[in-house]
Amino acid sequence: MKMADGVTMLRRNRPGTKAADFCRWPDQPFEEMESTLVVQQYIQQQICHDPMNVTQILTPPESQDEGVWKYEHLRQFCLELNGLAVRLQAECHPEACTQMTATEQWIFLCAAHKTPKECPAIDYTRHTLDGAACLLNSNKYFPSRVSIKDSSVAKLGSVCRRVYRIFSHAYFHHRAIFDEFENTTYLCRRFTSFVIKVGCADFTLNSSCFRPDRAIHGGSEMIPVKDNEDESCFLVTKHSPWRGKYKRIFSIGTAGVTTYNPTNMEITNRWPYSDFMGALPGPNANHGQVSLA
Amino acid sequence: MEDNSSQNHNGQLDPSGGGNVSNKQNDDGSQRTQYSIPGILHFIQHEWAKFELERSQWEVERAELQARIAFLQGERKGQENVKSDLVRRIKMLEYALKQERAKFHKLKYGTELQQGDMKPPVFDDVVTDAKLEADAPFTSVSNISWRQGRQLLRQYLQEIGYADTILDVRSNRVRSLLGLNNNAECEENLNNSSPAVNGNESSNKRASETQEAAVMANFEFLSPDVDMDDDDDMSDDLDDQQDDETDDVKTAKRKNKCLMMNEGLADDVDAEAEEVLNELNLLTESEDAQNELRAPGGSPSMGFATSSRRPMGALGDDEGLDSSLGLGELAQLTVNNEAEAAYDQIASSKEAYRKMWNAKYTLRSHFDGVRALAFHPTEPVLITASEDHTLKLWNLQKTVPAKKSASLDVEPLYTFRSHTGPVLCLTMSGTGEQCYSGGLDGLIQCWNLPSPNIDPYDSFDPSVLTGSLVGHTDAVWGLSIHNQRMQLLSCGADGLVCLWSPQNKVPLLSTFSSPDDGQPTSVDFVHNETNQMVTAYNSSHCVIYDLETGKPVTRLETSQAENISQDKQINRVVTHPTLPLTVTAHEDRHIRFFDNVSGKMVHSMVAHLDAVTSLAIDPNGLYLLSGSHDCSIRLWNLDNKTCVQEITAHRKKFDESIYDVAFHPSKPYIASAGADALAKAAGKACCSGLFKVKLSRGIVK
Repeated sequence: MKMADGVTMLRRNRPGTKAADFCRWPDQPFEEMESTLVVQQYIQQQICHDPMNVTQILTPPESQDEGVWKYEHLRQFCLELNGLAVRLQAECHPEACTQMTATEQWIFLCAAHKTPKECPAIDYTRHTLDGAACLLNSNKYFPSRVSIKDSSVAKLGSVCRRVYRIFSHAYFHHRAIFDEFENTTYLCRRFTSFVIKVGCADFTLNSSCFRPDRAIHGGSEMIPVKDNEDESCFLVTKHSPWRGKYKRIFSIGTAGVTTYNPTNMEITNRWPYSDFMGALPGPNANHGQVSLA
Repeated sequence: MEDNSSQNHNGQLDPSGGGNVSNKQNDDGSQRTQYSIPGILHFIQHEWAKFELERSQWEVERAELQARIAFLQGERKGQENVKSDLVRRIKMLEYALKQERAKFHKLKYGTELQQGDMKPPVFDDVVTDAKLEADAPFTSVSNISWRQGRQLLRQYLQEIGYADTILDVRSNRVRSLLGLNNNAECEENLNNSSPAVNGNESSNKRASETQEAAVMANFEFLSPDVDMDDDDDMSDDLDDQQDDETDDVKTAKRKNKCLMMNEGLADDVDAEAEEVLNELNLLTESEDAQNELRAPGGSPSMGFATSSRRPMGALGDDEGLDSSLGLGELAQLTVNNEAEAAYDQIASSKEAYRKMWNAKYTLRSHFDGVRALAFHPTEPVLITASEDHTLKLWNLQKTVPAKKSASLDVEPLYTFRSHTGPVLCLTMSGTGEQCYSGGLDGLIQCWNLPSPNIDPYDSFDPSVLTGSLVGHTDAVWGLSIHNQRMQLLSCGADGLVCLWSPQNKVPLLSTFSSPDDGQPTSVDFVHNETNQMVTAYNSSHCVIYDLETGKPVTRLETSQAENISQDKQINRVVTHPTLPLTVTAHEDRHIRFFDNVSGKMVHSMVAHLDAVTSLAIDPNGLYLLSGSHDCSIRLWNLDNKTCVQEITAHRKKFDESIYDVAFHPSKPYIASAGADALAKAAGKACCSGLFKVKLSRGIVK
């Protein structure tokens, strides 16, 4: 409820405000905000304004400290991810999903315990979110919300990684819930873009082995790049920080690059050339290592 | 006139009262049939002065009687302790005798004597002080036990309200005392205080002298045996010198002595006891003596007391507002203290004022503003509800060791997830087993509380959520619970106030709506009546309804002169637990008090610099806590509607800062919920009453 006269605009949600009027006040430009929680205010304002416009939400204002920007966004993601967790609580029973998995091979262990434990999926989700809350609010690593220590920025990456698995589990095992949630909040798409922008993409995305932004754009994971004809294929060893080394067939084609699992010839990944940013020789160039960005 | 009558000695008032009387008689004589304004004024002044005089006399009498009660209670406690001590000794002697007999018999006859059970006597753990007394003569004071004892003593002193700063200062003083010539220093103090003492305090002086002597004796011997003897001597001395006015001083001294002697500590004794003596002197004596006492020997202690007040006064994160405001109010407080001159409970509660709430716990884990919080009825456990759609359970005894800040960080034990929108209100049942939360999604969720000792990373238990009450079609903003009848009241942005009985099959009992009054913003059951509830609206109306008929019983007069529509809103309404009083918090910075029976406004005050958002009344009905968007929490005395403490807490997000405040129903905790995603809880350094120190010894093992 805003004041009718334009003298002072009080951005308050007073008791008695209707749900539709919650936070319904005119946007305030970033420069004019005066509080210690400006970044959170700004992000929430942008989201309220247009949740689909991912780029605009993720663009920091000028001269905004990058660490703080990442931190506040991550807080906002954990906040909104609660909605997915609530929906999963109804459906993801420990009897059905006894482990936290996304695709076949990998079981994710819950890091919230003293020794990583194999929690059922719903417990993993809850513990990860609770653990993220503890970490992001801990006085030890994040004592202030206006400046972030450099040593703590690294923690953000690990939170991203674990949180991402929640998305992937929901995508693969509870597709209906995932779709419904995504269509209202566009959270996964935003999170993926965030992760790429922020630079922890390689850790995060490889480990969860799916690209939901692709998924949203309608294509199924497993169909090849359109009009791609494999030109030359190589049997390669893929080095992944999480899964170690494993064999793949690396195929360079007309429209993109595809990798296949040699055991069952299933497509495990494909990238159209438009996604490529560069290719560099890897650290052991003699042995033919290449990293693609 | 007011100050004079309350502060000065009674004698001073009589002449002025007498003067007024003669004036009045003259006036009446000359204007028998006519009333003139000066005459009336004189008469009123005179009557008022008379009443003030009577009141102060009554206060003094009351205080004396209370002191007497305190003293007698203390004596009784002492007698009981002595008795149990003797019983214990008897048991020990009997046991020893039995052993001797057995030995003798064995030697004489070469066989075992049948004596029944030969177990050494088992002492009750309840009276631990006597046990310690028994132990003390047998064991020498080792370093470890000394340190433990010291630690324990620190705890006790903290309970009765001495902060660590005072302890440090005093121990420094003791050290300096020890460093210099002990006797000379102490006697200097003694000499300074003795001329200041008037007739009333002769016994005090003697007591202090004997105490000093005893303390000196302690220095020389430093052994528990002697301490105990001194204690006995001291008690005898004190008992002999009974004097009403100094009753509680002596009981306090004796208690402190008992405390300290039993721990076998000598060092801190004289300084502590001296300080206690001096501070209690400040409370008990009349102002003249007080002034004199303050000037010489008492001045160091007074200095300590004020300096201790200053750190007490500066609380919370921001000290800017506090240092000027807090200290000013504290200064006012000291005046009030002298005026009342009450002794035991009230004196201690004033000591409680002076010790105040210190910011102790910070509850960090929410991602967005904390909208509501509720304490568990018995445990130091609280639940917070936040705009990040979750509720969290916290146990204040499980703190995270934090090196940086003075306040303790607490981590949540459990996160309740089920709302799909910000959670706006929360209430806890009287048993502490269930809680209810209402949110922007229009649902009221009922939860079973998990145990306060669970592992935070336990497996998901779907039975925590016991159900939801569906009925509102828009955000639920207010919840209130009636513990005896197990009924729940809720109000929502759809304009309805609903009454629920959650245990029933059909929980919704009835709905009230009053479209003329606008949107209901807050509800509460009327605590001193059955079957009534009060609802506050955003149109500044506030109505008491009868629950059975649904009809308004009383309409509280909240006439607003404001023109601005937003400022008419009432943000919170609470009813007093025992009196027919309703308190409302307004958007126009006021707090208003209403009488339930007549509906009239009893009092209205500008309470904050910005909208007042939340209210809480303490379970005894003596204090009111109010939170506001000006980032401050204020504690008010309900008798005279003055602010006794202000705490600055929480930062602003958009234009909001503090959403909710609460008292613990049985323990001395308060908490506040802020828009900066933090909840803060504070504990009290002092419990009311010196006796609690003794009682709690059973708990602190």
